[in-house]
Amino acid sequence: MAFPARRKPLLAFAFTWHQNRLITQPRKKTPQKVAITLRLEAANARRLQAIAQDENRTLTNYVETVLLRDLLARDEADRVITVFAAPETSSRIEPDDVIRGEGESDAAYERRQAVAVELWSIPDNG
Amino acid sequence: MVPGAFVRVYFPTQEQPRRPGLLHIGYVLVATAREALLAYTTSQPWPAGSPLPAGVRLFDAAQAAALNQSRPFVLRLDILAKLPMTAPWFPDIGKPAQGVIAIAPRRLQEELVDLASNLVRRRRDLIEMRGL
Repeated sequence: MAFPARRKPLLAFAFTWHQNRLITQPRKKTPQKVAITLRLEAANARRLQAIAQDENRTLTNYVETVLLRDLLARDEADRVITVFAAPETSSRIEPDDVIRGEGESDAAYERRQAVAVELWSIPDNG
Repeated sequence: MVPGAFVRVYFPTQEQPRRPGLLHIGYVLVATAREALLAYTTSQPWPAGSPLPAGVRLFDAAQAAALNQSRPFVLRLDILAKLPMTAPWFPDIGKPAQGVIAIAPRRLQEELVDLASNLVRRRRDLIEMRGL
């Protein structure tokens, strides 16, 4: 009996589709985790366990979350503010040089002037 | 050019901090008669799940539309540029509107000045001035 002519292309299509899917949608790799041993005073461990339970977490998950928060806070603290300064600009400004916004209150204008004076006073870091 | 304006500007880049860079819309935080201090804006969406650093303000589609911008955008008060008001930096400075896309309402201007003020006060030592 002859093999139906259309089956082969269908199988070929299915195989090609599967291949493409593997290529275009690689399975996400979970970052490798390492186990560490943590020794805590019993009273602190009990407190942490209670907090974890309140948040419907395991103690391990809670401790990991707290440590990740600390890492993020450190990243944030290290973040630099960059001011690009064109060569033709001045390195000093007087508060009165700052143009006042339309309808800007005295207090808001003073804050704007203070920001300007502060930023203009920072020396070049190269 | 007035404070609070969103304006077309060749914002400098990290690679070439002293030269006009890519065309962006900048926000005029401070203006004098000859210079302006601008904050960087980009329509590149902020990565989902990444915490927002201090000084970053997101504008959704509705807020962007109110400021004559077609897409949501991110305003970065932690990336600033002090520029002379000249054509190499502001391509439309010679036109009647000077390249100004919109002017922020007073309340938004005050919010952004407060944000900048807090940022500068808390991070004075972390400010990197590049290019003088």
